[in-house]
Amino acid sequence: MKLTRLGALVAGAVLVFGACSSTSSPAASSGAGGGTIAIKVGIELPMTGGEAPNGVPTANGVALALSQITVPGFTITINQQDDAVNGKHNANQGATNMGLLANDAQVLFVVGPYNSSVAQAEIPVTNAAGLIQCSPANTAVSLTKGDSAVALRKTNPSKIAYVRVATTDDNQGAGGADIVYNTIGAKSAYVLDDTQTYGKGLAQGFADAYTKLGGTILKTDSPPDTTTDFTSYVTAIKGVNPPAVFYGGVTTSGIGLFRKQMAQQGLTNIPLAGGDGISDGSAATASSFLNIAGDGSANTYSTVAAIHDIPNPDKFAADYKTKFNTDPGAYSAPGYACTQIFLQALKAVSSGVTDLAKLREAVRAYVADPSHSFDTVLGKVGFDANGDTTQHSISYYKYDATAKDWVFFKQRDFIADPIK
Amino acid sequence: MTSTAAVGVAPSRPSLGRWSFPVGILVSLVVLYAIVANGAHEQAQDQFINALTIGAIYALIALGYTMVYGIIELINFAHGEVFMCGSFVSWWLLTTLGFSGAISDPIVLAGVLVLAFAVSMVVMGVVGVVIERVAYRRLRNAPRLAPLITAIGVSFILQNIIYVTVSNSIITIPQIIPNPVISFGPVAIREINLFVIVLAVVLMIGLQAFITRTRLGRAMRSTAIDREAAQLMGVDINTTIALTFFIGSALAGAAGVVQGLYFGITAFNIGFQAGLKAFTAAVLGGIGNTTGAAIGGFVIGFLEVISSVYGYGRWSEAAVFGALVLVLIFRPTGILGQAAGDRA
Amino acid sequence: MSAARSAVPRWAAGPLARAGTLLGHHQSVSIVLGGLVAAVILPAIALLPPFNGFGTQKDWVGGFANAGVFVLLAIGLNVVVGLAGLLDLGYAAFFAIGAYTYAYGASGFTGLDIPFWIMLPVGAGVAALFGLLLGAPTLRLRGDYLAIVTLGFGEIVPVVILNSDPYTNGTNGITGLSQPDLYGLFGVNGFGFTNPWPYFFTVVVIIMVAFMLLYRLEDSRLGRAWVAIREDELAAASMGINTVTTKLLAFAIGATTSGLAGAFYAAKLGVVTPDQFGFTVSFTALAMVVLGGMGNIWGVAAGAFVIYEIQSQGLKQLGGFVQALHVPAFALGPVSVDLGSINFLNYQYLLYGLALVGMMLLRPEGLFPSRRRRRELREAVDEPAELKIEELLEGTES
Repeated sequence: MKLTRLGALVAGAVLVFGACSSTSSPAASSGAGGGTIAIKVGIELPMTGGEAPNGVPTANGVALALSQITVPGFTITINQQDDAVNGKHNANQGATNMGLLANDAQVLFVVGPYNSSVAQAEIPVTNAAGLIQCSPANTAVSLTKGDSAVALRKTNPSKIAYVRVATTDDNQGAGGADIVYNTIGAKSAYVLDDTQTYGKGLAQGFADAYTKLGGTILKTDSPPDTTTDFTSYVTAIKGVNPPAVFYGGVTTSGIGLFRKQMAQQGLTNIPLAGGDGISDGSAATASSFLNIAGDGSANTYSTVAAIHDIPNPDKFAADYKTKFNTDPGAYSAPGYACTQIFLQALKAVSSGVTDLAKLREAVRAYVADPSHSFDTVLGKVGFDANGDTTQHSISYYKYDATAKDWVFFKQRDFIADPIK
Repeated sequence: MTSTAAVGVAPSRPSLGRWSFPVGILVSLVVLYAIVANGAHEQAQDQFINALTIGAIYALIALGYTMVYGIIELINFAHGEVFMCGSFVSWWLLTTLGFSGAISDPIVLAGVLVLAFAVSMVVMGVVGVVIERVAYRRLRNAPRLAPLITAIGVSFILQNIIYVTVSNSIITIPQIIPNPVISFGPVAIREINLFVIVLAVVLMIGLQAFITRTRLGRAMRSTAIDREAAQLMGVDINTTIALTFFIGSALAGAAGVVQGLYFGITAFNIGFQAGLKAFTAAVLGGIGNTTGAAIGGFVIGFLEVISSVYGYGRWSEAAVFGALVLVLIFRPTGILGQAAGDRA
Repeated sequence: MSAARSAVPRWAAGPLARAGTLLGHHQSVSIVLGGLVAAVILPAIALLPPFNGFGTQKDWVGGFANAGVFVLLAIGLNVVVGLAGLLDLGYAAFFAIGAYTYAYGASGFTGLDIPFWIMLPVGAGVAALFGLLLGAPTLRLRGDYLAIVTLGFGEIVPVVILNSDPYTNGTNGITGLSQPDLYGLFGVNGFGFTNPWPYFFTVVVIIMVAFMLLYRLEDSRLGRAWVAIREDELAAASMGINTVTTKLLAFAIGATTSGLAGAFYAAKLGVVTPDQFGFTVSFTALAMVVLGGMGNIWGVAAGAFVIYEIQSQGLKQLGGFVQALHVPAFALGPVSVDLGSINFLNYQYLLYGLALVGMMLLRPEGLFPSRRRRRELREAVDEPAELKIEELLEGTES
């Protein structure tokens, strides 16, 4: 009895698996046939669950790039992995996926991850495997700067296999401080963070730069990221009545809700500034900060860890919309940029090389070389000796009630013009 | 499922008899206000009202947990998702009817509110009955683990149905109750807060009246106490249990509508956290005891606000569970729970 | 293991019978054999179709190493839930403690670099200690109260870790953990990040050791005391069983494997952060115990492995399977359903939920139940949900 049931279960499982194809999903392939080398671009992003709105548009950016740009002599497909487990990004899954990608000899380049905590688990793997990964979105400082970064590169400390096109939170926090101190003119502020890596790092970057500028931090608070009831925090702010509020975190931690409750308690006159975690679309975009904040959107500011004056922003948006029938996400362009970097590197190193392992190392060395720069949809991008992007510009955005969207008003390069 | 008023104590000890419960509530409220005021100063009144409001929402959800547990001793993990689905039902209704903001005409507002509550409560009540019939009935006599796992499975199913069919992120719900503040002398309270608190109290009193004064309520209580004896007395167990699920899920549905009115948002994953806290509230108050669940809900609400007021906001989750552990160490069956000897 | 009948030639019957008694008496031998078989057969199966279509052998072996962590968690939780009947919904707390213990022992955060092999028993010991600490408040609590308190601990521990920055580095976690190192034994030094084989063999050995320590408990005096408490605590206490120590031992012993799992997991991943130890881990371990066959250590281990593989591979492949079927789009009422375009990854947890509900309704004793459990659960499920008055009055005089 037991055996037949078990047998039925096993037989069923085998049948199900038997008809399956392999894990790669079909995607863009490049032009020339016959005599081409088949290679892959790996994608390692959260694709399901609550974080799908972050990962899917970014992956689409990569696919768009591959469909528009070809490299002669190569057929390029995508090996897509998902690091979301039960709807939430999972560091162990990310590391496992990176192992899978590293193990696939055809993968020469990986775009991802999205979350800094996942990157912490992945950097040791790509460093050991010599596989270059380009993150479109990680902003945590400890991934590339300081002792912790070197500890992550344990196997080959001098080899850089992790680069990112987003700049770090110390710069972004400085941008926030610039907005609060100079644009808003608030000499004191109330600072909140959502207890998570990004939010806390951003709030810390803000606090450091803000105090350097001469501002005072009136009070700090850290609502857990699962909070929906911010009424007690908003009421506390009402009591302190600060000239400005800075909130480091992402929309899914509830910042939009927080601002909405501020509006409900009549506090829209207090400006709110945040980072790229709340710069996720117009008021019409579902689930964006502006959409959720509703009436509270007035008097809000955000930053984006990228330059604003990118060449041809409209063309990119139009191409994306044609292919995917929806507006690009906040990180579609960085995903596209990472892919462009890879393809340019491939073009530069591939003449005469057919061995996949050699190609992988050649691509890595070329991308990580600080003397190289790349023309991307984000403008000219290069990487410094730590793997950080040479674009240290932060763009500032203010909410505009007529456009019902973020509107750019300033950009500042924190290498050329740092906060003193 | 009755309140434990101290009755018939030794004559040498003065007792308040019937009044001990309301007096106890009043005293607790005063003490809580003092604690809040100490930390919040001028915002004491606002924070106190915040706590009452969120406590009312937790209480509504906790009631459903405790009713189901009292009658079939099942921790219905899917209950939090019933709450979440209730908020989605109200979202669907309000957006389909075309509302996008506060409704100023009181008659229309009243009408829409009644409609939203009625629809959401009935729909979620039916969903609760269906879940019981399909997933739990077969396992009624099985050891605890089996229906518990099933309940968790059902909660996954509900969460994911919403996730794939409606939205995978936060969606906004029109907040139709207008915002202004009403003043009663020195007390200033926003309309929405007043509405939530009054509604929750009315529903709780109504539930208590139903349970203690109607035939069906008696049937529920007797089934909770001794299922077989109740059957022998002619109670139809299946209908009674189905009714319990209906009422409990309807209350969660009401809480879902309140979520939309008060917060203006919902998401596929709010059910888990809310359900966890509400369940903690039910256990804190003594699981199986509806008054206890209500009290537990308000206690949790106050714990959250108090930890935020004193600057320990990031510890609020630990505070809630820490309080639970402490209460259970000193009173193993919860605040109003039955003495340990009753159940085998 | 009884010898086969006429199928076995006479010259083999004797040795086979002796082998059978040897394995029956010394189950340690069968455990070691089982471990060896697993270590050899599993990677071999990964080379066979259709499995070799989903990934290379290296990928599979890496997945097995990950599955091994959950097997350890499941057999530990089996002691608490399956044997002693204590409903623990926050088991991930001990997993977190095991992992962070290793992080304290072998990272730049504390500056220590104690070898992995020493940290394994240390991690197990620390986890056992916390098992005592977290189990102590629950002693007076009955069934479901116990469940919610353990759930509470499962939530409290990650929150404490998250907010105690000076001691745990908070949300960023502790990075740069040392990997296991064999110092030249078998020609292997540090395990590194790209080769899953040493991790796989290590986790098989750890599991074998855990098995040998745990399986004996089931038939020991302590194990029987657990069963007695599970069935009827009052009666057990009346028979002289010290319920306090028995329960505490269940928590402590159950926590040791999660300490082992935590240390291994931390060493393999190289980083620990508080968000890796949430309720989903506790729940997954619980589901594995229940679905695998509560109380039966072999069943639980097999169940944990199967469920992990289905979760990590099976659901991903389901999409490809359905696409390969090429079912044309059809209309279901006003909605057009196109099976080929469904991204099953989105439905992953829906399917998981359906599987759980289905299993509980159809086979609540789990895939590989212990005989005792099956008797309990079958009787319970088959019992009619309501009595009929006529049945009760049958046989009584009117």
